[in-house]
Amino acid sequence: MSASATAESLTSLAARESRGGRRSAAAALVGPATIFVTIGLLLPIIILFRYSLNKFVPGRFMVDALTVENYILFFTDPYFLAAFYRTLRVAAVVTVICIVLAFPLAYKLARMESRYKNLLIMLVVLPLFVGNAVRAAGWMTLFGNKGFLNVTLEWLGLISEPIRIMYTEWAVIIGITAVNLPYVVLTLQSVIEGIDRAVEEAAYSLGANPWTMARRVLWPLALPGFAAGAIFCFILTMNAYATPVLLGGPQFVMMGPLVYVQFAVKNNWPFGAAVSFVLMSATLILTAAANIMVQRRYRG
Amino acid sequence: MARLELHQLSKHFGSTVAVREVSLDVGNGEFVVLLGPSGCGKTTTLRMIAGFVAPTGGTVRLAGQDVTALPPWKRNAGMVFQSYALFPHLTVEQNVAFGLEMRKVPTAEIAPRVAEALRLVRLGGLGERLPRQLSGGQQQRVALARALVIRPDVLLLDEPLSNLDAKLRETVRVEIRELQRQLDITTVMVTHDQEEALIMADRLVVMSDGAVRQVGTQRDLYERPADRFVAGFVGRSNLLTGRVVAPGRFQTAGGLTIACAGGAPGPSVIALRPERLAMGPAAAGLDNRLPGTVEIVSYLGASIDVHIRVSTADRVVVSQPNRADGRVPSEGDKIDVGWAASAAVVFADDAAATSA
Ligand SMILES: Nc1ncnc2c1ncn2[C@@H]1O[C@H](COP(=O)(O)OP(=O)(O)OP(=O)(O)O)[C@@H](O)[C@H]1O
Ligand SMILES: [Mg+2]
Repeated sequence: MSASATAESLTSLAARESRGGRRSAAAALVGPATIFVTIGLLLPIIILFRYSLNKFVPGRFMVDALTVENYILFFTDPYFLAAFYRTLRVAAVVTVICIVLAFPLAYKLARMESRYKNLLIMLVVLPLFVGNAVRAAGWMTLFGNKGFLNVTLEWLGLISEPIRIMYTEWAVIIGITAVNLPYVVLTLQSVIEGIDRAVEEAAYSLGANPWTMARRVLWPLALPGFAAGAIFCFILTMNAYATPVLLGGPQFVMMGPLVYVQFAVKNNWPFGAAVSFVLMSATLILTAAANIMVQRRYRG
Repeated sequence: MARLELHQLSKHFGSTVAVREVSLDVGNGEFVVLLGPSGCGKTTTLRMIAGFVAPTGGTVRLAGQDVTALPPWKRNAGMVFQSYALFPHLTVEQNVAFGLEMRKVPTAEIAPRVAEALRLVRLGGLGERLPRQLSGGQQQRVALARALVIRPDVLLLDEPLSNLDAKLRETVRVEIRELQRQLDITTVMVTHDQEEALIMADRLVVMSDGAVRQVGTQRDLYERPADRFVAGFVGRSNLLTGRVVAPGRFQTAGGLTIACAGGAPGPSVIALRPERLAMGPAAAGLDNRLPGTVEIVSYLGASIDVHIRVSTADRVVVSQPNRADGRVPSEGDKIDVGWAASAAVVFADDAAATSA
């Protein structure tokens, strides 16, 4: 989100500069970013797409071809389709949970006047200092059949059999939610901070209760921020790798791990490329759709 | 349109006391201005009336009902914010209609009432615009229309003119005043602009340090300031420190003896309005007449200020109207200054009393 905003401000800067006849300076500013985007992002995507049209022949690795059979395989095989739908579902659920959980926290942080505010923001960011894999390992000690949660519940006499949490969809959802939450909180917080507090008070003084105020004033003003936070969270979940592998176990396949397995374990680059492409396209299409919806809402 | 009564209203933020035991009665249709230096608790008082700040102690009664514990949305108070706080995503009409919708006013009634409110603030025809498409002055009037359309029991204004340029401010303050009279709406306004306060108010509340120093009309504050702070804050005063040595006799720090009306013996301050002082021949025959030396002459257009030293420690400013036939003294002139004993107000000197 911020990258595209930067790109946008750079292009508008470029436009203004060129009008002033200072093309070279503008080019010097935009140049590095353009080169980086081209080489770092566009080129691999093009290559990946080309690979996805190749054939995989066991023993001969990758054979040049122009075929869509990798895509046909993906969309006809129930195993791969299940992984695809599972990924979409987990991403949707995580996004909803993240937004719902992040909003109250982000709101409190944004409206806080205490000198501890920065400290609290640091606390929100703190989990990001620990890598995803390490954190997932932490969840494993908590969720396992002999983990902290089950042992405690058993000790309290609330359960007689351990509850199976590890290697379920919920373990993955909880794990990814925990990973994404800080990003969503920070995104929402910065958006809410940009909304004049007096506007909320004006609504109250005109007779709106907090619920009505949130619905009629805060929500429409924060909508672009909510969209940004949600899209961010959705993209992160679609591409999650460590958390689904560690908390979901070998049976729980999501798209990220699937790509990895095809490339690194099965050495099937063409199919891996096709899976990557499906993943990327789905993410892009849904993101664009969400964006368009928000824009419409905003104009209409 | 209703009475507003504050009873011993206080607000503490941790160890700072923002407002201390403020009591105030605002009558039906009255325009009261809270005036005081920055940080004296004006905004906090206003926000307690609106319900945005919970008082530490005391009560707020609005239209006969104790609203102290009510949230803002259950009080019928219209507020105009310093930043106007218009809803940026709603048009002017939608902004003004908001309060009516919250009050479940029948849809058919909303449009005419919105149009009427916009007409009152002379914004008819701009209803379709978004706030960001309006000038500051127009936004201010939308904010006013939005607060008035709900027919509030009390209208609260927090420095409503501070974001307007000087020229516009002069017209808008008269407009607000006229509108307030016409609608007969109980109003409390906060400002630290003395001129604005004097022009708009029926009654003024002078605050300092969270406390009310004096409540009264412009004339009360000017002629009979309650203490040294008010005498210095509202208009200009010559303040002479010293002590009351006997009833009616005041001795300045510079050793001058002055006749005064009233005052209890002890460390005191005398306040003298510059335009109540006479100089030269005009000083003859007044209760007090002191010889002095002209130090500074300031030509201000409508009036002339003459600073006259009357003792090593005391200097007074005399303000005289600039008349065509007036004689203007020049610096270094020896000249008499005089005033009637009744022109001076005497206060006990709190500062000296506490430091002594
Ligand atoms: N939310 C708050 N937390 C802590 N202290 C506060 C808070 N709000 C106000 N204060 C303090 O209370 C005192 C009164 O503040 P207030 O805003 O009422 O002053 P004011 O008279 O409106 O001043 P100004 O003319 O500058 O607007 C100040 O010392 C201020 O620092
Ligand atoms: Mg203030």
